[in-house]
Amino acid sequence: MTEFSLTDPAGWMFLSAQILAFVVILTGVLQTLFYFAQLVFAGAALASRPPVPRSATLWRRYSEQAPSISVLAPAFNEELNIVESTRSLMALQYPDFEVVVINDGSKDATLQRLIEEFGLVRVERFVDTIVRHAPVRGFYASPHYPRLLVVDKENGGKSDALNAGINCCRTSLFCAIDADSILEPDALLRVVRPFIDDPHLTIAAGGTIRIANGCKVDSGRISEINLPRNFLALVQIVEYLRAFLMARLGLGKMQALTVISGAFGLFRRRTVVEVGGYSHGTVGEDMELVIKLHRLMRDRGQEYRIDFIAEPVCWTECPDSLKILSRQRARWQRGSLECFAKHRDMLFNPKYGRIGFVGFGQILLVDVLGPLVEMTGYFLIPLLWALGLLALPWLLAFLAVTFTFGIFLSVATLVLEEIQLRRFPKIRELLLLASVAVLENFGYRQLSNLWRIQGWWQFLRKQEGWGTMTRKGFATSS
Amino acid sequence: MSSLTFLWEFSLGLCVLAAVALGILVLARVVTVRSGARQEAIRAQLLPALLAGEGDVRKLGGIELEIAADLTCELAELTRGSDREDLLQRAADMGVPRLLQQRIRSRSAQTRLTAVEALALFEDFVGDTAYALDDVNPDVRLAAALALAHRSDGPSTRLLVDKLKMGSEEHSLLLVSLMSDLAERNPGEVAALLFERDVPVEAKIAATDALAEGGGEYAPLLAYMAKESEGEPDLQPRIFRALGRNGHPAGMEAIFTGLGSDEWAVRASAAEAAGRLGASGTTARLGELLADENWWVRYRAGEALLRLGPRGINALRKASTDENEFVRGTASAMLAEGRVA
Repeated sequence: MTEFSLTDPAGWMFLSAQILAFVVILTGVLQTLFYFAQLVFAGAALASRPPVPRSATLWRRYSEQAPSISVLAPAFNEELNIVESTRSLMALQYPDFEVVVINDGSKDATLQRLIEEFGLVRVERFVDTIVRHAPVRGFYASPHYPRLLVVDKENGGKSDALNAGINCCRTSLFCAIDADSILEPDALLRVVRPFIDDPHLTIAAGGTIRIANGCKVDSGRISEINLPRNFLALVQIVEYLRAFLMARLGLGKMQALTVISGAFGLFRRRTVVEVGGYSHGTVGEDMELVIKLHRLMRDRGQEYRIDFIAEPVCWTECPDSLKILSRQRARWQRGSLECFAKHRDMLFNPKYGRIGFVGFGQILLVDVLGPLVEMTGYFLIPLLWALGLLALPWLLAFLAVTFTFGIFLSVATLVLEEIQLRRFPKIRELLLLASVAVLENFGYRQLSNLWRIQGWWQFLRKQEGWGTMTRKGFATSS
Repeated sequence: MSSLTFLWEFSLGLCVLAAVALGILVLARVVTVRSGARQEAIRAQLLPALLAGEGDVRKLGGIELEIAADLTCELAELTRGSDREDLLQRAADMGVPRLLQQRIRSRSAQTRLTAVEALALFEDFVGDTAYALDDVNPDVRLAAALALAHRSDGPSTRLLVDKLKMGSEEHSLLLVSLMSDLAERNPGEVAALLFERDVPVEAKIAATDALAEGGGEYAPLLAYMAKESEGEPDLQPRIFRALGRNGHPAGMEAIFTGLGSDEWAVRASAAEAAGRLGASGTTARLGELLADENWWVRYRAGEALLRLGPRGINALRKASTDENEFVRGTASAMLAEGRVA
């Protein structure tokens, strides 16, 4: 072994290399253990989940007692999808619901398309003012579509639009979705289940988000499930499966869920109002809301549940160009960091129990340190190897473990998908996704981490705003 | 084994595991696809036999019986009256109840639940369905209770309350559906729950909700419950809403008291009930509530005034010129929304 001397530069380099390698390996091992725990808990959630009946059975059983829901769909420059999405929302199978589309000061013809398509006229509505948002310009409704209300407001961002929706809604529950998403017809009946089973405890519940690229859409419904041809969209399908069917299902089982996707979540209005609604000035508003709910309930010492249900599915369009995907990923990273920084006092704080340890531990490990450590590893370890400070066999062995574990997790998630949802009708689609799970490790994974580093940089520079998200619109079968 | 070798072998192990899992996945899918085609053919053959008695209705076994049982569960949900009775008779002739009896003891909660619901539809199987009231899964227990509540020869209301462990393990809103079914069968038994000290509050709330649907007979009891539940902000609003649904004037006094409650949720639900009841005696108090600090109370008060007709609308019109900007705004907005401005 080389003896270390304070005056020896080579010794310093060697020590630095050792420390660096140790940090990278330790973080990797902790992440691996955490992912493995999530997988085990996701399996346990699957084994102990309540019986999953057919839609007709759900309707028969729940329709009498299902609480009313307001579906809030904020829309900004969504002229391409807005009519299709609104039709899909109004066709949901649920006994009592209202669709509130919030036009967040769109610069395109979003509002005009809604007015023309549904024959809307300007109406009055007595609304609450309890949560803050930009001024409302008007309300639109039609006697032909009594379930639909369109709120036209000045632009203020997604959280601002959702706050306007919260003020407008007159139901005890509201479902926040993206206006460009398509809910499966029985999604509300499925996601409301925890609110029926545990009405006094449940304050929020989320469902699975799936990627609709490549699927055929007919009258606002997914009529044919296909895989996209675009590689980026394919990789995102695997990523979403991992995120929802492993991570969120597992964390939900641990009762340590720190995020319910902004694309589909059901909340108790009263509790959300108590935390001030969605926060302004963050792009991680969905994550922050859930963290605020945890904080409120823990501070009060009140029992509660925030659940994740795998079966209700919401379909959304994902970016299929590097430019837009990179923006989205950087924004997500920035959102996580903003939430972490704002609520950092909850980290490892015994007062917040499993949220402080498991939930925030996961954010620290995966979102805060994850991209930094992995990119550091990618750049510095080969450098150290080139300088002769790291042995090649070790470098290769660690890379092999990292990649094979990633592949193992992806395949395990495909197994969970097959057991829980089984939305891919063809065998070759499963095989294609398995191949993508292997290929993503070589190039995409590194690129994704680079985008997350960009998110870190944006966070440090306190950059605000969402950036532009260009949509192509769903492919229709007609 | 050196650490380096361990790392390589660990990677190899993960690869093998992933490959095996994928292989099983594909194999399972192939088997499912192949057997699916055969099952579809059997379904197509059994469907007319079950629905219309077409073809050979005989004792079945194996996969045919399995499919007949699944079909019976699905079709029983879609049929009513004599159609359902005929369907069940044909299913019984095929031997479906015997298979459902076996399924009640299945390891899968989903299978047990579906079997319990279907079995309760057949005559002479109440005992088997009641067996499921002791199931380890609360969903199966509740399904059994809901299925038995429809039957005149089902267990007593009190027994179901105990078996479901209402209040301690069972908190579902479906308890209201259960109580409604039980109230249709024997309203006296459900009303009696309200007087029993050891019955959990959740069972009493569900009973209250169920009795509200049963007309004016139980209105005095609901009004009494509304008074007795003062100081219970979770319980009292539900009783007021039940009083509103019940629509009997016996609830007026309790509602008037509720309008003055310190809890906003109680005031809001009392205002809602006043509107549903058409309690014109509460007009003045509802007008005052237009200045309430809570939006829900203001909204429910405005909504109730609109429901009260000319007297309420006049109160809103008067309030729309009130000195208080808050009251003026609320009244004007409600009038505009009700298109009676």
